[in-house]
Amino acid sequence: MTILVIAEHDNAELKPATLNTLAAAQQIGGDIELLVAGFNCQAVADSAAGIPGVTKVLLADNAAYEHELAENISKLIVALVSGHSHILASATTNGKNYLPRVAALLDVNQLSDVIAIESADTFQRPIYAGNAIATVKTDDVVKLLTIRGTAFDAVVDTGGSAAIETVSEVCDNGNVRFIKEELAKSDRPELTTAGVIVAGGRGMGNAENFDMLYELADKLGGAVGASRAAVDAGFVPNDLQIGQTGKVVAPDLYIAVGISGAIQHLAGMKDSKVIVAINKDEEAPIFSVADYGLVADLFDALPELSTQI
Amino acid sequence: MKILVPVKRVIDYNVKVHVKSDNSDVDLANVKMAMNPFCEIAVEQAVRLKEAGIASEVIVVSIGDKSCQEQIRTALALGADRGIQIDTDTVTDSLSAAKLLKAVVQEEQPQLVIMGKQSIDTDNNQAGQMLAALLDYPQGTFVSDMSVESDKVQIVREVDGGLQTLELDLPAIVTVDLRLNDPRYASLPNIMKAKRKPLAVKTPAELGVELNNKVTLVAVNPPADRQAGIKVASVDELVEKLKNEVKVL
Amino acid sequence: MNDYKHPLTDVEFVLNELVQFDDLCVGAGLDEVNAELASVILTEAGKLGSGVLAPLNRTGDELHPAIGENGVAETKGFAEAYQAYVEGGWATLTAAEEFGGQNLPNVLGTAVNEVWQTCNISFALCPLLSQGAIESISHHGSDALKEHYLPKLVSGEWTGTMNLTEAGAGTDLAAVSTKAVRDGDHYRITGQKVFITWGDHQMTDNIVHLVLARLPDAPAGVKGISLFIVPKFLLDENGNPAERNDVAAVSLEHKMGIHGSPTCVMSFGDNGGAVGYLVGEEHNGLAYMFTMMNHARQAVGLQGLGVSEASYQLALQFAKDRIQGTKKDGSRYPIIRFADVRRMLMQMKSGTEAMRALCLVAAAEADRDNSARLELLTPIVKGWVTEFAQELTSLGIQIHGGMGFVEETGAAQYYRDARILPIYEGTTGVQALDLVGRKTLMNGGESLQALLDEMAADISAFEALSGDFTLAAQQCRTSLDNGIAARQWLLDTAADRNASASACVNFMMLFGFLCGGWLMAKSAVKAQAKLEAGEGDPAFLQSKLVTARFYCEHVMPRTQSYLASVIAGGESIMALDEEQF
Repeated sequence: MTILVIAEHDNAELKPATLNTLAAAQQIGGDIELLVAGFNCQAVADSAAGIPGVTKVLLADNAAYEHELAENISKLIVALVSGHSHILASATTNGKNYLPRVAALLDVNQLSDVIAIESADTFQRPIYAGNAIATVKTDDVVKLLTIRGTAFDAVVDTGGSAAIETVSEVCDNGNVRFIKEELAKSDRPELTTAGVIVAGGRGMGNAENFDMLYELADKLGGAVGASRAAVDAGFVPNDLQIGQTGKVVAPDLYIAVGISGAIQHLAGMKDSKVIVAINKDEEAPIFSVADYGLVADLFDALPELSTQI
Repeated sequence: MKILVPVKRVIDYNVKVHVKSDNSDVDLANVKMAMNPFCEIAVEQAVRLKEAGIASEVIVVSIGDKSCQEQIRTALALGADRGIQIDTDTVTDSLSAAKLLKAVVQEEQPQLVIMGKQSIDTDNNQAGQMLAALLDYPQGTFVSDMSVESDKVQIVREVDGGLQTLELDLPAIVTVDLRLNDPRYASLPNIMKAKRKPLAVKTPAELGVELNNKVTLVAVNPPADRQAGIKVASVDELVEKLKNEVKVL
Repeated sequence: MNDYKHPLTDVEFVLNELVQFDDLCVGAGLDEVNAELASVILTEAGKLGSGVLAPLNRTGDELHPAIGENGVAETKGFAEAYQAYVEGGWATLTAAEEFGGQNLPNVLGTAVNEVWQTCNISFALCPLLSQGAIESISHHGSDALKEHYLPKLVSGEWTGTMNLTEAGAGTDLAAVSTKAVRDGDHYRITGQKVFITWGDHQMTDNIVHLVLARLPDAPAGVKGISLFIVPKFLLDENGNPAERNDVAAVSLEHKMGIHGSPTCVMSFGDNGGAVGYLVGEEHNGLAYMFTMMNHARQAVGLQGLGVSEASYQLALQFAKDRIQGTKKDGSRYPIIRFADVRRMLMQMKSGTEAMRALCLVAAAEADRDNSARLELLTPIVKGWVTEFAQELTSLGIQIHGGMGFVEETGAAQYYRDARILPIYEGTTGVQALDLVGRKTLMNGGESLQALLDEMAADISAFEALSGDFTLAAQQCRTSLDNGIAARQWLLDTAADRNASASACVNFMMLFGFLCGGWLMAKSAVKAQAKLEAGEGDPAFLQSKLVTARFYCEHVMPRTQSYLASVIAGGESIMALDEEQF
């Protein structure tokens, strides 16, 4: 049994989500090959080769793969599928973009957002915004899964020495063109892999007040997130949104500030290890999932918390 | 230009689902059903393109038994021109849905298919991508902004790190995210008109698609319950607990 | 209230099982209208209500309309909501097709109006008043007036008001003193009107005031009052609002409730006389008022349902969320598990369901052109529903405990908003007099007898239900007997005006609770049949059975005490000399 894992990267470095997906692959068992498809991404392949447990790194380095366009990547994966029992990608906007295309081209289904491996063909995945967990079994010859990173602890990323094999296959659909990308530049950890997240809601009042959250997050080495209400109100950009339709996170410590805790938000963070909620409304639903609740005005509590940490 | 909008009948966004006691599935008996919220956004976008004079016709299609005609009528009341119900009692998986939609696309030849990025029941987020692959069309997923110019559509995608802009040649598939637009309320005259708009019923056999499902649902369980913890009285107490009780600081 | 959920299943049940909606549409010649279409319309109305109107309910309570140089500025956000309402075509629902209406049945219009009234009673008053203006003009206006004013009133582009009350002429409209003088092809109106709901605002570019006034040569009393259209802006030759007419809101009342609805003092003719156009014939205005009275009074009864439903939904949520009980093992539970909270919730639930049944059944009589029954039920809908709403909205506060007395929770607003309902559009006393006088004594009790006969048949079917309904059926039968006895007493004492006038409110309340119970019993019979046939939503139908049983067992016995008061007559009521008070 050989599993093909698709690496998540930005052509410069391997993204931590890959390590969670590799953990899921290890639970399935078998040889693991890692595909790095990108452009000028040798460095990514080199670091990928150092991950213990990866038997082979496949490197497809071509301008056609620079922006991970689903049209191109999917055809590349299809070209490589022979001999693989499973294909795993991270349940990121990337993985969710191309893997269903691969599935359709192979005439198989795809299991999205897998959170547990029961056996080589049976998996668990959340449905209804996480309000139910489905156990599903697939009889497809090749099993395609996207893996929810927060459900698997990352594998260690150094100490291995896998061979790097170059893939020369070039798939370039002419009918789609990359125009531009506006990515938030930040020294802070990525939301989906951060150990600590400080998240703000509508209660923050405005964009400026989010600075208080950044200050606290920086002290804790964490990331800043937001509820949909805060994003919709324009306080912060959409890539900070945590919840059913945003990012699903599970850090060691989640501090929810001025977030009431709509069920859609809870769906995105309730697997966090320790949840702290600060809200002046004692009845806010967020308290029903919080390990530690502080009923207080956030404008008093936040500065105090920042000074004490 | 024709636009095809697939819509799905799902449990109402506001209803909290419960797992059946035999763990075979969630209990959908007599719960309120509605159009998938992402599909509403797709319908709205298509109707806006029609109002802007870019689209000539908006066709909605839904897969399911007769009850999904309700969602088709809702879409017609929101401004779509005609509907197609693909009549089946079988719960279709994403791949089968994509195959059925492919057959409709081949019949109708729309330049643009706009659909929700995912349905809020199965949360798969894949039917649009699959349809695009089967047709070898370009795709724009997680779309929060789009503009159509003659034979191209420029789309902005909400990706993990921020925003990505792509240009797709038509015909293309676009799957929409929440912030693309704010769907309108159906107006009374349009509800009345919707009754008279054509709604065709087709079977999978007529479309030449055989439904089979390689994925079986073994069990459905409620998620592990998270218990409410304690209320702390002050920031001091909070920091003390985080440091000494759970040791996360 | 932000979390409003339209009780669609119950509305559908009443429409299908009690109103026989599909039959009604066939009978009215409306081929394209059926229960399925009604459900779609109600679903979409529910969305607009919960999405747009409900979030503004609290806003209207807190940010009152204000009066300034340009007249009345309505609460912020109301204009946009009104725009959404008009753009949605909701104003056109029951109006005639020739003026841009959708010609849908009155009962469906009533069911849709429940949504607006529940979500935001202050807002919903504005279209309610427009409806009155539309009816007066369409029934009695000349073709020219219809052509000039109806299309825009029907579409909602303009709103309408009813200018009846004056400082010295409230219930007694015969005392109207506003003057109208002939001036070529129109009239000049001068005078002051008070309590004019939505008398001014900036939401539309014209307002059409319907005004009662007296011509110089008019006979004294009710037979000397004429009805006029006085537009805020006079129309130019193209029918568009142009010159400002001599009418203005001069002050706003500070009220106990319905704060979002501007209640204006309107001044006509401060600068020489407002231009008015006669509706119908001179001196016939009050008669015209009566033609729209059934609709307006039923609409206010419906407000009683709306505000009770809103209060119930809020209280129910609170009862589920509020943790107050502690078990022996230390675990805690919400107050909905306390029997007394249950009692209050059941009273609210069964009460609102009974109100809804009566409001819709009565509204359907208009579609069936069953004027005797319509006339009979109207004072009961207006009088009983709005009086019962006082009790239910009070319970809504009680369930909240101390938090209910605090404005923050919103429960108090419904209680305050409800308080006007038994007063305006004819007080409870006026409704009760109407019921015993015009609607009963004037036809020798015939209308009431027909209703009692129909009740008897339905209650017999209820008695035949197996299961837990023995006591409920007994109470239902007793209440029916109480109704029969009250009617007989009224006919027997017809000669004694003091007796019937003293007893009338108790008489009306008896029939209100009896009508509610009759329809709940009928609902139970229908629900049981559907359950046995394996149709419908079993959870809803089973709860309908329990709710009906509760109503018959716990609410209907009140008919007993109302009967006792009725037959006690008026002696002790009128015995004291005025000086002895």
